[in-house]
Amino acid sequence: MTVFIIRRLLASIVLLFFISLISFFIITLTPGSPYPWGELNPKVSEDVKRIFREKFHLDKPLHKQYGFIMRDLLTGELRSIKDERPVLAKIAERLPATLALNLGALALSLSFGLLLGVYGARYAGRSPDVITSILAFVFIALPGFWVSYLLAIGLVNYGAVPILGTHTIGVTFSNGLEVFLDRWWHVMLPASILAIGGVAVQSRFIRASMIETLREDYIRTARAKGLDENAVFYRHALRNSIRPLITGIGMLLPALIGGAVIIENIFAYPGMGRLGYEAVLERDYPTLVALNFVTAALVLLGNLLADVLYAVVDPRVRLE
Amino acid sequence: MITTTPEPLEAAAASPTARSLRRFRANKTGLLALGMVCVLAVIAVTFFVLDTLGIPWPMDPDTTNLERKLLPPNPVNWLGTDNLGRDVFSRLLNGAYISLTVGFVAVSVSLSIGVTVGAVAGYFGKWVDNLIMRIVDAVMCFPTFFLILTAVALVGPSIFNIIIVIGLVSWTGTARLVRAEFLTLRESAYVQAARALGQRGPKIIFRHMLPNAAAPILVTAVLGVPEAILAEAGLSFLGFGVQPPQATWGNIIADGKTYILDAWWLILFPGLAILIAALSFYLTGDALRQAVETRSERQ
Amino acid sequence: MLGIPLLLAAVTALALWTVSRVTVDKKNEMYIGSIGEPSTLNPVQAADSASGSVTGVIFNGLLKYNAGLEIVGDLAAEWKLSQRSTFFFDSAEAAILAAANLEAGGVDREALHLRRYAVEGDRLELELSLPGVGDSEKLAAKFGVAPLPVQTLSVMAPKPLEDALTRFAAEESSARVVRVWSHGNLGELVFLGAEEATRERLRVWLAERFGEEGLRIEAVQAPRFLAEPVVVFRLHDDVRWHDGAPFTSRDVKFTYEAMMDDRVASPRKPDYELVLSVETPDARTVRVVYRRPFSPALESWMTSVLPAHLLAGVPPDRWPLTFNRAPVGTGPFKFAEWKTNQFVRVARNEDYFKGLPHLDGIVFRTLPDPLTLRLAFETRQVDFWSADPWAVGSFREDERFTLFTSPSNSYNYVGWNLRRPMFQDLRVRQALAHAVNIDQMIRYILYGYGTQSTGIFTPEMWFFNPRVQPLAYDPEAARQLLDKAGWVAGEDGIRVKDGQRFAFTLITNNGNVIRSDIATLVQENLRAIGIEVTVEMYEWAVFLKRFVNQGEFDAVVLGWALGQGFDQFQIWHSSQTEPERLNMVGYRNKEADRLLESVREEFDRGEIIRQCGELQQLIYDDQPYLFLFVPEGTSVMWKDAFRVRRPGPDGTWIDEPVTMTKAGWSHYLEWFYRPEYAKEASE
Repeated sequence: MTVFIIRRLLASIVLLFFISLISFFIITLTPGSPYPWGELNPKVSEDVKRIFREKFHLDKPLHKQYGFIMRDLLTGELRSIKDERPVLAKIAERLPATLALNLGALALSLSFGLLLGVYGARYAGRSPDVITSILAFVFIALPGFWVSYLLAIGLVNYGAVPILGTHTIGVTFSNGLEVFLDRWWHVMLPASILAIGGVAVQSRFIRASMIETLREDYIRTARAKGLDENAVFYRHALRNSIRPLITGIGMLLPALIGGAVIIENIFAYPGMGRLGYEAVLERDYPTLVALNFVTAALVLLGNLLADVLYAVVDPRVRLE
Repeated sequence: MITTTPEPLEAAAASPTARSLRRFRANKTGLLALGMVCVLAVIAVTFFVLDTLGIPWPMDPDTTNLERKLLPPNPVNWLGTDNLGRDVFSRLLNGAYISLTVGFVAVSVSLSIGVTVGAVAGYFGKWVDNLIMRIVDAVMCFPTFFLILTAVALVGPSIFNIIIVIGLVSWTGTARLVRAEFLTLRESAYVQAARALGQRGPKIIFRHMLPNAAAPILVTAVLGVPEAILAEAGLSFLGFGVQPPQATWGNIIADGKTYILDAWWLILFPGLAILIAALSFYLTGDALRQAVETRSERQ
Repeated sequence: MLGIPLLLAAVTALALWTVSRVTVDKKNEMYIGSIGEPSTLNPVQAADSASGSVTGVIFNGLLKYNAGLEIVGDLAAEWKLSQRSTFFFDSAEAAILAAANLEAGGVDREALHLRRYAVEGDRLELELSLPGVGDSEKLAAKFGVAPLPVQTLSVMAPKPLEDALTRFAAEESSARVVRVWSHGNLGELVFLGAEEATRERLRVWLAERFGEEGLRIEAVQAPRFLAEPVVVFRLHDDVRWHDGAPFTSRDVKFTYEAMMDDRVASPRKPDYELVLSVETPDARTVRVVYRRPFSPALESWMTSVLPAHLLAGVPPDRWPLTFNRAPVGTGPFKFAEWKTNQFVRVARNEDYFKGLPHLDGIVFRTLPDPLTLRLAFETRQVDFWSADPWAVGSFREDERFTLFTSPSNSYNYVGWNLRRPMFQDLRVRQALAHAVNIDQMIRYILYGYGTQSTGIFTPEMWFFNPRVQPLAYDPEAARQLLDKAGWVAGEDGIRVKDGQRFAFTLITNNGNVIRSDIATLVQENLRAIGIEVTVEMYEWAVFLKRFVNQGEFDAVVLGWALGQGFDQFQIWHSSQTEPERLNMVGYRNKEADRLLESVREEFDRGEIIRQCGELQQLIYDDQPYLFLFVPEGTSVMWKDAFRVRRPGPDGTWIDEPVTMTKAGWSHYLEWFYRPEYAKEASE
């Protein structure tokens, strides 16, 4: 096991190196100048631009730029071009909000996905199943920004509900519960839009997994023993269908970070997606490289953890 | 070879394809969705032809008419007009073929890559498989959306480039699927037999293994189309999609979002169009999947 | 299994119920929404408008515009302009003779702003009360003896020059160096003698020390005598920084040094490159000497002043971590907190030197989506909204809102790439201008909120030339002009000349509805006279980097947002046509170059108006751009949200509704108050 972990860690580092290399070149080859002032600013002279390029090593050949960026990134010295703050601090600053949003979305898609999926599997082939299936596909087919706009207009125009940011600004709440509920709402609104697709995917996944499990021999045995159908269904089949779901969560991470861009923008939510999107627009190369690197590292770590956990949980799996 | 086929007896009655077809025909939702897909295809082809011939019907989607700007739906402009007085209905119909082209071609791109990579990995196994799957892992590590944004900025937002970029980032799922299929198939009796007879890799892959993996690949393809359409719409929304004046469903919404409080019809109808198209493809794909799934027949 | 989703749904429903009952805007604060996030709160480093609106209430400059856009003191109680003009002669006798002739010549000292003069060795020094070149030249005409012409060379070296120029001056024997100036990689050498020869010797001398690469030595178009404007600022003596430390002349000198410091990388550096020295004779006085007349200089002292006591000892690369995120200023509001990507909050400065601001604070929110920004305004989560043109009408009819409409200092245009042969014929450019229906654009794109542009300045500027006549929409005239230019209708209806079709690509950036509409309408208008236009749109950064900056385009839709200044050297001078420069259409006109150079040295209002007027007419006649329109901007405010109570003359207070001034509706921002807190405000 230790050998396996060490080998995978080493492989991950090699992989990370290549990821950082590829992402660096894609990012820096993208046309655009990262000057923090408007490019068409008549006040800014050539001299100022030169000073700026030197400051961020933009005057060096690409391979040297890569060297500088990776050295600074690994020593934590890498600074954003936009505001010259360390990029790791900028990423860390978004972490709480991003985690809240993504955990909210995850909780919603898992719980509602489970509900719909199990319901579908219970009535497989009958009309409740057909209805939930179609519903699930409607959910997947909805463009997220479209729903966000319709929802935003509806909530604001017909309910004057505050929807922007992480909490209502300009109000003093009377007690802690209200403060909590206010924050809860500001997380759950974008999270539910983010979760719409997730609910659908999870419900399809669980439904398929349940139907599969129900065909297993031990379920037949349980039924043959005369166990109550509900007990068979909920106690035996369900428990065994959920397990693969948990390990799959790790794979959701990059999609969640990237997928929230549009929704974070619409709801002025200070998450990681907006950081990346703004960095793309501003050609803030260091931030983008760091963001790609950190995400990739997290995913690789997540994958490794999932594999290890799987081996710990399931004695049949041996790690070599 | 017939004598060695390990198929159950009922197989004699009909080929697997025929059985799948029969099952598909029994699925009313799937049929309806397939019908809708066909309607969309007809619209797309019709307007592609009309556009190529230069016949403006019902109206020219690019002709502005400033006196008639931002009109709500009315007898002349069924779905209203946009900020330059262009007919939304005409733009929607003309946008259909661009959006569907994006969907289909992007899927073809991602399928070609995904199938090739997956097949090679699955067929050869061992270190080849290991290496390829690590690369797939690496690609999956990228936050796809940023990758698309940067790539589009890098190569420019032409229709062609957008198709390629969407295709290039969405092949990993197919690759994994095909690899898994191939890992199973390579152990099957007839592949072993073909190998024993001295047939070479490419021939085995294309002649024997790929046809047997066709069904799941087809399903992935159909399910991939709406994803590409939605991806283009999302890119358009952020200004990275196909650029106006060329109309796509995505950029009609993107252009219209500025006027959303004053002209709801500019985003409602194209949004519905995307929803209906995506839904039709998803339901068709799902019905197909159910029809070709071998295990469900035992139910 | 049912429990978790039910619980989630129930708590969310409860949360929705709670937030739907809260009413916002109950605090004595102002809420301002902006699409962009400030990049830094260091006013010397910031260049974006989001940063500028926040630093604007935290900091003060030495000078500012008043409501009528005249320059008045801010941190400076008063200021005085003058100029020292120095003429050099062959000998001391010649200088004395010149002085005598000047005395005898009977000059009108008043009209030529002459205060006094003195001879020192072979030099004659004049002191004038108004900087500029013209008066000194008129006085020099009376000398009777010709002064020696002064030559100026500018140097841009690959490395910091340090004292290289001083050492060169000491070693150089053939030319007489009368002044050296250097700062970082930039330097300037002023001398008497042959220009060509000295330039060559300087090049060789510097190349030995710094290498040839990156070394640039150029002759500068400068007056033929030493003309050194001087500005003396007398500072207010009761100003304190937000942390209690007193504000002194040391802060001003430090701010100048910070802007010139390469490590700070201030985009404002070019405004100060002509400064020779900044002296602080005492804590209340700042004396700035310029190397030559540079009239935009005065506006440059509107830049916010930084606190020396907090920053002088800190290396600039530490600022982004500390000061730039939590600045200390002298302004009406103190920095309070900054939640990244959410808001910046500033709180009232109890110790503000002009009096106590009425509001408790201002919250600058970042709301990146235009729709939700508007929704936030409509639900009173922000107090102001820059209305889109198509929405102005419905707000105007609504009694609950106050609208502030004003012409912007910006204009939109289609720039023709003059490097392309098809656009080099003036008749063609005139034809293109006649072919485009600008009235229609204003009516349908701007909903009437705009006027036709007649050149490089906008009507609100005091040096605008109202006599420039716009070219009228006249497709027939356009067709005739094209025929005359040799572009005749081809088989497919598109005009042809020498086998080339009149077809080109018009590019613009995406995400800007007005620009994409302009492109579409230009395309339609030009099709009507037989020109084929393909419209392409690119993301802003790509659009600039790959096309505009490289001059790789046929025609481009863009706009200029101008300040109040009249200096457009960087946009129109023929020296600015290289890649990455702002004269991207490649406009070259000797007469325009001359005017652009001379107006920068002019301090006389009348003369500035004359020269700017001439320049505007000249460039409009040349039609390097198709000048389209000057849009009007409209800000909307909830009518009951704010009133203004501001200090009037002689210690009185003026109480009035928020009104539009030439400097914008927000000019009196520190004196805004919420009527529901009026009692507190009047105390």
